[in-house]
Amino acid sequence: MTLGLILIGLPVAVLGYQYWLRPALSPTRVIDIAARVPEQEGFAPDVIRVAVGETVTLRFASMDVTHGVAIGPGLGVDLGPIDPGQVKEITLRFEHPGIYTYYCTTWCSPDHWRMRGTLQVSDPSNPDVVPAAQPDPVIEALIAEGIDIDAVHTPSADHGDMSILVFQPSAQRGKAVIAGGLDVPAELRDPVWRQSHTPAEALERLTRQNPAASERDRLDAIAYLWTLAPADEALATGERLYNQNCAACHGQSGGGDGPAAATTAEEPVAFSDPGYMFERRSDVLYAKIRRGGMGTGMPNFGTLFTPEETWALVRYLWTLTFGAPPGLDTG
Amino acid sequence: MLNQGRIDLLERMPPLKRLLKARAFQPAMMLLTLAVFTLAILAGLIGTPAGNRNFGIVFVWIVWWALLIAVLVPFFGRLWCTICPIPAPGEWLQRRAIVQRRPGKLWTRGLRWPRRLKNIWLQNFGFLGVALFSTIILTRPNVSAWVLLSFLLVGVVLSALYRNRVFCRYVCPVGGFIGLYSMLAPLELRVADPDVCVAHKTKDCLTGNEFGYGCPWMTFPGSLQRNAACGICFECLKTCPKNNIVLNLRAPGGDLLVANERRLDEAYKAFIMLGCALLYSAVLLGPWGWLKAWANMHTLPHWALYALGFIALNLAILPGVFGAAVWLARRIARQHQPLRRLFVDYAYALIPLGLAAWIAFTFGFVLVNSSYALAALSDPFGWGWDLFGTASTPWTPLGTTVLPFLQVGVLTTGLLFAVHTAYKIARQHSAQHHTAFLATLPVSGFAVLITLGFLRLFLG
Repeated sequence: MTLGLILIGLPVAVLGYQYWLRPALSPTRVIDIAARVPEQEGFAPDVIRVAVGETVTLRFASMDVTHGVAIGPGLGVDLGPIDPGQVKEITLRFEHPGIYTYYCTTWCSPDHWRMRGTLQVSDPSNPDVVPAAQPDPVIEALIAEGIDIDAVHTPSADHGDMSILVFQPSAQRGKAVIAGGLDVPAELRDPVWRQSHTPAEALERLTRQNPAASERDRLDAIAYLWTLAPADEALATGERLYNQNCAACHGQSGGGDGPAAATTAEEPVAFSDPGYMFERRSDVLYAKIRRGGMGTGMPNFGTLFTPEETWALVRYLWTLTFGAPPGLDTG
Repeated sequence: MLNQGRIDLLERMPPLKRLLKARAFQPAMMLLTLAVFTLAILAGLIGTPAGNRNFGIVFVWIVWWALLIAVLVPFFGRLWCTICPIPAPGEWLQRRAIVQRRPGKLWTRGLRWPRRLKNIWLQNFGFLGVALFSTIILTRPNVSAWVLLSFLLVGVVLSALYRNRVFCRYVCPVGGFIGLYSMLAPLELRVADPDVCVAHKTKDCLTGNEFGYGCPWMTFPGSLQRNAACGICFECLKTCPKNNIVLNLRAPGGDLLVANERRLDEAYKAFIMLGCALLYSAVLLGPWGWLKAWANMHTLPHWALYALGFIALNLAILPGVFGAAVWLARRIARQHQPLRRLFVDYAYALIPLGLAAWIAFTFGFVLVNSSYALAALSDPFGWGWDLFGTASTPWTPLGTTVLPFLQVGVLTTGLLFAVHTAYKIARQHSAQHHTAFLATLPVSGFAVLITLGFLRLFLG
């Protein structure tokens, strides 16, 4: 009797508590999610269905290495690192139908970027209908403009080869140059214009306007203008997202030399290279981040980040090129 | 005088004697450890695969191991065998009772254990087998659980086939080294007067009576000279009608000098334990990543090389080098005993060093990892439980500043004990101090070399 109580009763009690009593006592529906490296299954389950208005507790347990879990877009949920065997949970309630993604934020394996799961929030009256993703106006505009987002972008002949810069443009110095009287055309001061034009195009206009100014002054002024951020909070968001999701390949300083750089299909872009970045448009960078780079190993982040978060990330990329801006400015 | 210089704890502490004579005491302890053991197996099978958060790994290979090797064995000898849960189901099935003495024969086929296996060679090879895969067993909860479960099942099967605790005495890989090192413990179960046992006709300690069973370890207490074959289950204390059983406090290590019971299987156990401690230290604490990868079976050819080296070191290299030292000792001390006899005898001098090495090695990983125990206690399966509010206890390495001092202290004690034992064994072969001193030199040199090897591994 006593022996049976231990050898049979104990396992029954443990399993009964875990799979019957514990869920019954929980005020919310609890969903256990096991996290393993993607080569060994990734998240299990990787699809979770929730009804609008339902409160659920998502309990993530790392089964092998240190993972990190965030849920997006727009939920602001970041559970931070989860060490092997550790369990972290978050309780959420969704008011509207939609699709969210839970994803790993720590470089856990060569296939780390594949470690994602989908949270489908549906209307209880139409449980089978899950809202489709909304088209992104920025990407739509680029397509309408005829820009091939997936094309390999090489330096344009129109603006000269910017790949050989003899000095590093400095946003810090650029502010002083502009304050010192450099004549900046109105469109360059317009953040919307800057989003859809390259620094090289801006440099051309600035040179026309200030033929007597030194090349260095003009480059520094561009660097300053391209790093203007609407708020330091946005820049901090960009930095956090970059470190969590981009630094493994692109390098913490944007040198394209992250620890996982060798594992990607194509060499990661070096954002710290002004020669390369002078030919880049912010809106194309935005689109690349949200759609991913076809065949390059660059994953898509459109299902993870809100458009605002993506813009914050783009702004942070420019600071990797030109250095931190001297202070807050509305541009 | 058999018990001269010893303190009989049973005489000094009557409540202790009453406790140990109570039939319920041992089963109660075994039920407790069986519950923990069952939990450990269950956690291994269905809990988190992350070893550092799994009760099965943390409580077996950190908490239990540390208690066993650093406390129970050195101070209490085979006390773990008293409360070990592994033989419990098999023994209780044999007896068809847990607490009370049930009259009648044991429920078993009653086969005779082969004479050629009445030694610890099976335990030696069993330990080597487990040790060879230890980096897997010690880190993967499910593998660990299957190993523990297999111990339990083998114990039950052997109980069904053979009388008494054949598993504990001749098969259990853990019991083998506990028996070896229990000879160092300052605690012993003996008889007060062997002549009483000789004169006693019914030998209740072997046959059992209404108060208890015959010795499950198949040992006659009346001739006990060493701890190795006594599982201190206290059945003899319950059955002895002559009140002749004593539980002595004594000076540690006296059993090593019992010349007529030294055997080659035990000598080899000493080498295997020493060799495994060396290799474990090299693999788990050493700076050689490639060796760790080989031991972890990253590739089969590399693991095969590791296995070959592992077996060669334990069964050939260490005994071979030691044999050369003994040959030299025999030559310079002009001893005339057979080399094999001297080899076996002097190997017993390595037992204190082996235990010291295991304690020092255990300090190395237990102090660093002990904080995992608090988290695993509250969340044994890694399912997010928090039974005692300690599930979020962060990993905190303990004693890192004192660890090297502890390790050096323990190893030095073991070395001095080994040299002292070697000299005493030499004196058993040579009446003269000078000759014994000479014979001790090569054996001590071997012990010093091994100690330096450990210091290199522990201190870097």
